Amino acid sequence: MFGDYAALIVLLPVIAFVLTLFLGKKLYSGGALLPIAAIAGSFIISLGIFLEIYPDGMVQQSVSWFAGMNLGILIDPLAVVMLMMVSFVSLLIHIYAVGYMSHDPAKPRYFAETSLFTAAMLSVILSDNILQFFISWELVGLCSFLLIGFWYHKPSAAAAAKKAFLVTRVGDVLFLAGIVMLYFNLTEIINNPANAFKIEPGNYILQFKTMFEAIPLIDGTQLTYITLLFFGGAIGKSGQFPLHGWLPDAMEGPTTVSALIHAATMVTAGVYLVARTFPMFVATPATISAGVPDSLLIVAYVGGFTALFAATMGLVMNDIKRVLAYSTVSQLGYMMLALGTAGAVLGAQAVGISMFHLISHAFFKALLFLCAGSVIHAVGTNDIREMGGLFSKMKITGTTMLIAALALAGIGIPFLNIGTAGFFSKDRIIEGAFEYGEKTGDMIPYGFAVIAALLTSIYIFRLWFMTFTGKPRSERHSHESPGVMTRPLMILALFALFFGFSQAGFYGYLEKNFELMEVNIAVHEGEAVHPPVLIILLPVIVGVLGILISYAIYNKRMINMSKIISSDNPLYKLLYNRYYEPKIGADLIGVKLTHNVVAQSGEFVDRKIIDGLVIDTIIGNTTFKLGEIVRKLQTGVVQNYASVTILGIALLLVLLKLKFGGI
Amino acid sequence: MALYSYLLVSIIIFTIGVYGIITQRSGIKILMCIELLLNSANLNLVAFSSYNGNATGQVFAIFSIAIAAAEAAIGFAILVALFRLRDTINLDNINILRW
Repeated sequence: MFGDYAALIVLLPVIAFVLTLFLGKKLYSGGALLPIAAIAGSFIISLGIFLEIYPDGMVQQSVSWFAGMNLGILIDPLAVVMLMMVSFVSLLIHIYAVGYMSHDPAKPRYFAETSLFTAAMLSVILSDNILQFFISWELVGLCSFLLIGFWYHKPSAAAAAKKAFLVTRVGDVLFLAGIVMLYFNLTEIINNPANAFKIEPGNYILQFKTMFEAIPLIDGTQLTYITLLFFGGAIGKSGQFPLHGWLPDAMEGPTTVSALIHAATMVTAGVYLVARTFPMFVATPATISAGVPDSLLIVAYVGGFTALFAATMGLVMNDIKRVLAYSTVSQLGYMMLALGTAGAVLGAQAVGISMFHLISHAFFKALLFLCAGSVIHAVGTNDIREMGGLFSKMKITGTTMLIAALALAGIGIPFLNIGTAGFFSKDRIIEGAFEYGEKTGDMIPYGFAVIAALLTSIYIFRLWFMTFTGKPRSERHSHESPGVMTRPLMILALFALFFGFSQAGFYGYLEKNFELMEVNIAVHEGEAVHPPVLIILLPVIVGVLGILISYAIYNKRMINMSKIISSDNPLYKLLYNRYYEPKIGADLIGVKLTHNVVAQSGEFVDRKIIDGLVIDTIIGNTTFKLGEIVRKLQTGVVQNYASVTILGIALLLVLLKLKFGGI
Repeated sequence: MALYSYLLVSIIIFTIGVYGIITQRSGIKILMCIELLLNSANLNLVAFSSYNGNATGQVFAIFSIAIAAAEAAIGFAILVALFRLRDTINLDNINILRW
C-alpha cells in the first residue's frame, strides 16, 4: 500500500520547497514547519515501504519519458535503507535547525533550500535509471551550491560555494561521459542481431535492470572505462582524492547545512553510485592484479589513500568544523575502500559492509556536526583553541559528542559484540581489507585503513578534549542550547550507540539486493579467511591508543606541543596548509591555468577576432555601406509608399492572371 | 438586377479611394479615402452574399464595419496627437522616416 505512494517521498519535500519559498515569511517560524512535516511524511512512507517489502520485496514503477528513456522508481533493499536513513537524519537536522537558525532573517530561503536538497537526494536514491539518477545528482549539486553560499554576503562563503560547484562539476562531467559511453555501448549491443539482446516492453534502455543484464555483452575494456568514469563522478561528489578540496571549504555554510551535506544528503551519493552500479565494477576484467577487477582495485586504492590522507589533515585543523570535514572525507574513503577490497574478495557482501558504515557514519557524523553547531551557538567561534572547559556548562552536548567520538573511533569490546555503531561498521571494513590482503597478497589498503583508524581516534579526541575539558580559554558566558536542539542530539546519540547491533540483519538483507535484481555476482571461491586474534583486536587497540595519545597531549599536556606546532616544522606546515591543495587547486589550476591561460585566450579570440575582425570589420562595414546605397529609396512621402503598394498589388494581379487565366 | 452593376459601383468607389490616397496631402482626407476602400469591399461582400443567397457575407460585412469604426477612431486619435505635436497634419511635413 505504501509502495503505491513511493513518488510522494520525493514530491512532498518538493511541494514544501515551493510553498516555503513563496509563502515562508507568512508561515509559522519562517516556514520551518512545512519542510519538517513533508520530510516526516517521506520518512513515514519510506518506513512503511520497508515494512512492506521486507525481507525480499521490491517496488518498481516506471513511465516512459522520451526516446526510450524513462522516469521510474526502484526501491530495493539498498534503496530502502538509504531512504530511511536520509529522511530520518534530514528530519532531525531540520528540527534542530529551528533552534539553530532562529535568529537568521533568511529562514524561509534556508528551509526551502534544505527541503529541495533532501528531495533531490531522495530522488537520487530511488531512481531506477541512470539518467534520472544523474539529473537528481546535479540537483543535489545545485542545492549544495546554494546552501554553502547561504551567507553569500561573506566573500569566503561565496568563494566556497563556487569552489564546491566547480570541483564537483569536474566529477559530474566524467560521470556524464560515462553515461554517454554506456548508452552507445548499449545501443550497439541492441542493434547487433548476433546478441539477441532486446529490451522487453516496459523496460527502458538506461534502467539499472537493463544495464546489469547487458554487462556480459559489454566489451571488458569499455566496461572498465565506463565504471572508472562513474567513479570519477563519485570522487567529485564524495570528496575523494584529488577532488576532496571543496568539502572542508564547504564549512562556510550554516552548521546544519554541513551536517546535511556530510551525513545525509550529498557526499554519500558518490558511495551510493558505486554501490548501485556495483555489478558493473565487479565485472571489469582483472589486468593489473590477479583476481581483482581493475575498477575495484582503483576504488580500493583511491578510497584507502583518501582515508589516510584526509585523516592526517584532520590532526592539525583548528576550526572545529574543518576537523569534522576531513573526518568525513576520511570515512568516505573507508566506504570506498570497503567496496573495493571486500568487493574483490567477498562479492556482493561488500555493498552491505560499505552501506552499513555509510549509515552508521551518517548517524554519528550528523551528531558530531550538530554538537559542533551547539558549541558554536554557545561560544560564538569555530576555533577550538578558544574553547575549553565547556563540559560543565554543556552536559548534554558534551555527552552526546563523546558518544559520537567513541563511535567514530570505533570503540567497542571485540568477541562480546558490544560496542558503538562505528565499532561494528568500521572494524568489518578493516577486516575486509585484511581478507583482501590475505587472498591477494596486497596489504597496502589494509595498512591505509589501520593507520587512518589510529589518526581518526587521535584527531576526534583532540577535538573533544580541547573543546570540553581543561580551562576555559575565552571569557564568554556559554550555556546549553535549547531543547529543540538538544533533543535531536539525544536521538542521534541513541542511534550512534545502538545501531551497530543491527549488523547481522543488515548484511543479510542487503546481500539479497542483487539476487532480487537478478544479477549474478561472481564470489571468489576459496577458503574463508579467519583473521588472527590480533587482527580482530587491532582496530580497537589503535582506537584506544589514539584516545590515550590525545588524552596525554591535549588533556594532561604531557608533551609540549608548542615546539611541534610551529611554522618551522615542515611536516606541520605541509599538513596545516592542507598539502597545498588550495594553492595547487584554486590558485594554480583555477586562477593561473584556467583563468589566465584558457579564459583569457578565449576572451582574446572572442573580443578581438570574432567581435573585432569578423563582426565589426567584415560584416559590419559591408552592411553599413550597402545600407548607405539603399537608404535613398526612403523618401518619407506617404503617397509614394501608397503608390508603390498599389502598383505592387496591380502587378501581382497581372501575374496571377497570366499564370492561371480566368476572368 | 445583375451583380455586375453592384461590382461596378464598388470598383468606382475603390478607384476614387486609391486616387485619393495617392494624391491627397491631408491626413484626414487620406483616412477618409481608406474608409472608401473598406466600404467598397463591404459592398462587394454584400453583393456576392445576396447573389449567392448566403448570409455569411453580410455578417462578415457587419464585422468589417465594426472594425472600420475602431480603426477610424484610432486613426483620428493619432492625427489629433500628431496635430498637437506638430501643429499640422499635412503629411508632406511629417517625413522623419526619410533617409
